[in-house]
Amino acid sequence: MNNFFELKNVDFNVGGKTKVKNVSFSIENEGDIICLLGPSGVGKTTILRTIAGLQKINKGSIKLKGKTLSSEKTIVEPENRNISLAFQENSLFPHYTIKKNISLGAERNKSKKDQKVSLEDLINILDINKILDKFPHEISAGEAQRASLARSLVTQPDLLLLDEPLSNVDQSFKEEIQEKLKKILKNSKITTIIVTHDSYEAFYLGSKCGIILNQELKQFDDPYKVYHLPNSIEVVNFLNRGTLIPAEVTSPKSLENKDLGTITGNFIKHFPIGSKVKLLVQPEDLHHDDKSNLKFEVVDRKFRGTNFIYTLKTPSNSLIPVFVHSHHIHQHEVDEKFGIKRPIHIDHIVCF
Amino acid sequence: MKFNSWYLSSFLISCFVLIPIITVFTSFFESTSNYYEILKNTFLIEYILNSVTLLFSVLLLTFIFGTGTAYLVSFYKFPGSNFFKWALILSFAVPPYIYAYSLTAFFENYGTAFTILKNLFGDANYNKSIPKFDGMLGAILSISFSLFAYVYILARASFLYQSQNLIDLGKNLGFSKFKSFYKVILPSARPAIVAGLSLVAMETLAEFGAVDFFSINTLTTGIYNSWIYFDDLAFANRISFFLLLFIFSLFILENLSRRKAKYHLNSGGGFKQKEKIKLFGMEAFSAFMFCFIIFFISFLFPLSQMLYWTLKFPENLFNLQIVNLFFNTLYLVTLSSFVLLFFSLISNYGNRVSKNKILNFLSTLSISGYAIPGVILAIAFITFIAWFDNSIVKSLGFTSIKKIFIGSILGLVLVYFIRFYSLAFNGIKSGYEKINISVDESAYLLGYSKRKTFMNIHIPFLRNSLLFIIILISLEIIRELPITLILRPFNFETFATTAYISASEDLLEAAAVPSLFLILIASLFIIFTSKHILRETNE
Repeated sequence: MNNFFELKNVDFNVGGKTKVKNVSFSIENEGDIICLLGPSGVGKTTILRTIAGLQKINKGSIKLKGKTLSSEKTIVEPENRNISLAFQENSLFPHYTIKKNISLGAERNKSKKDQKVSLEDLINILDINKILDKFPHEISAGEAQRASLARSLVTQPDLLLLDEPLSNVDQSFKEEIQEKLKKILKNSKITTIIVTHDSYEAFYLGSKCGIILNQELKQFDDPYKVYHLPNSIEVVNFLNRGTLIPAEVTSPKSLENKDLGTITGNFIKHFPIGSKVKLLVQPEDLHHDDKSNLKFEVVDRKFRGTNFIYTLKTPSNSLIPVFVHSHHIHQHEVDEKFGIKRPIHIDHIVCF
Repeated sequence: MKFNSWYLSSFLISCFVLIPIITVFTSFFESTSNYYEILKNTFLIEYILNSVTLLFSVLLLTFIFGTGTAYLVSFYKFPGSNFFKWALILSFAVPPYIYAYSLTAFFENYGTAFTILKNLFGDANYNKSIPKFDGMLGAILSISFSLFAYVYILARASFLYQSQNLIDLGKNLGFSKFKSFYKVILPSARPAIVAGLSLVAMETLAEFGAVDFFSINTLTTGIYNSWIYFDDLAFANRISFFLLLFIFSLFILENLSRRKAKYHLNSGGGFKQKEKIKLFGMEAFSAFMFCFIIFFISFLFPLSQMLYWTLKFPENLFNLQIVNLFFNTLYLVTLSSFVLLFFSLISNYGNRVSKNKILNFLSTLSISGYAIPGVILAIAFITFIAWFDNSIVKSLGFTSIKKIFIGSILGLVLVYFIRFYSLAFNGIKSGYEKINISVDESAYLLGYSKRKTFMNIHIPFLRNSLLFIIILISLEIIRELPITLILRPFNFETFATTAYISASEDLLEAAAVPSLFLILIASLFIIFTSKHILRETNE
């Protein structure tokens, strides 16, 4: 079966230098949303610009609906791709009002019989009613980003590319817009690639997530797997939610750590008994228990609204994060002892 | 995508503009007549010394006038400060050669000053006590009062952008007003002032009318004379070569200082709009007097002198075919503006879409036309056409094309094009710099072709900039003298050439009428655009 969108062995270049190497991924169905995650400057925007046709490739191929858009020999000009890209920075036409800017986008789809998205709905959903008669320089960065999003959406592209679409939107408004955006994209069946450095945004919006690190697409999977079953140490470090501690495999279902003792669970990857490994411990893996005799010193406590993340220091100087619901009966201060429930069982054991 | 029709057009336009520069450099090695030997042993050192004396004196005066007035109107409130803000730009309407006529007319024996004294105090021999501003001093004053506005405009823009924080810092360190000026304000505006002075330097070295009128032998007049009187094009090109080298050094200096200027412009959070300090009493009076004297001497004085003579000798008004001169000037202005805008737009857009380093380099080089004196451009153009005609056209058996390009409107417009190309190109470029490249890309992604993006997105955005450029070009062409003088068709005169011809025949009274009209028309253009000039430079 043909994929709706396919990227095969593509090198992405900027100014003659390769930014991201040998990238392959595909979007199977029309209407799917995928997210690309990675630190700033890794080349996420370059990928979007290349897919949009604003940059060439020297290796690999990019196909949409079975048609090759870019390859070593082929380049379909951006204006002939029906791909829309909403830039991270303000790219509205500065001499036109917001209304005119959006209507220029609408012009592109006026010949289409099947109007997937109504302009009025978009204006309401993205809450840009009040700025329609203003010029781009008269509105805030967040408003400009929403207006730009509206202009891209209204073109009803075959593929929509969003570059950090909500990076300038106020935190208080962000979740609401995320929900609305997901709803519009799903209802209108617009296939979308979103680039972001916010993992929560990516996990919420994307049915699949790609992690780009050190010039490579390290992992391309569904969000749950990316988070709980990272395939490399780099991905673990990037998501920055767990820690790697030394351990030895003692049976097909257990391993031993000097500080934590025996840990049981299901290995994701097979390791021979006796192997020295690095075990991923995520905040949710360990549970607090005041009565436990396995106690470590608290060195930091982060309040995250719904929960606390305690950082504990083990006798062998490992720093282990532990998740505790914020309604837990009491709190532990730095330097206090903090108990860990035994026996320790981790549902899926990730080792490297 | 890189080598499209936009790239090609842009490439050809840049190459065309480069013709005179290449011609001057290649002519350097041609043999010259005996005139070169004679001159080398006699006057060449004088030419160089005169050029250098003129240059540094004018730089000093324009620095004092331009920076002084800009400082006062930017930082202080005093009677007339709002008026002077734009009125000081009016000095642009008076080209140095017309200023030179006014200076001579006023201070010469039995001139206007004499008449005033006679009317006030009765008959006496006042000629001895009236100072004479002729020769080198006359040339220095004429050029300085005509060109100081370059420094004024750029320094003012820079002063306006100095944050209140910077000035508060000076106060906090216990500096007096004067110490704050030279310790904090002036160094921070240095790149803008250097940019203004570089423009003055280039114009001074290129100046022909005023220095010719005062019979000062400079490199520029040397070029003109070697061509007109000794018919030695190769030698004219040889002097041009040296002058060009000198000008290019200034050009590089100016470019470097501009690059640095970016770091001095405050933007974003650090900028705090400063409040002007209100001056009272003696301080307010002194500030007013300083600005008024500069405004009076640079604008009102030549205007009044020309008006006085026009009224005193009204027959000149009727002898002159004003309507004819007006339409000739208008014809040149319209045609040249159209050609300049059309090709500069194409060239800019070509550069923008092709992002090619060679093209970018060529464009940077081609805009140096503005730094090259009109005399050199005109002569280099004639040299090139003569070479092209002899070596290519005639050898292919075609009839001579000299008449099509030399002494014709076409030739004149083409050389204006080369001379003022940088004005149009840079004007449009600065307009383009305000359009983020993602705007173009958004247009492509909305399905717009490059042509449609250019027509539907860029042109409407650049509309105001284009209007401003048209007016700047018009102002330059109205004032332009040497190119028009050398390349104009027979019996085709403008206000500038008519004034020059009358003055060079010692008929200063007759030069007054075309000069007056020139000042008035140029002033109108300036008044229409003063707000824009002041705003543009603030951005």
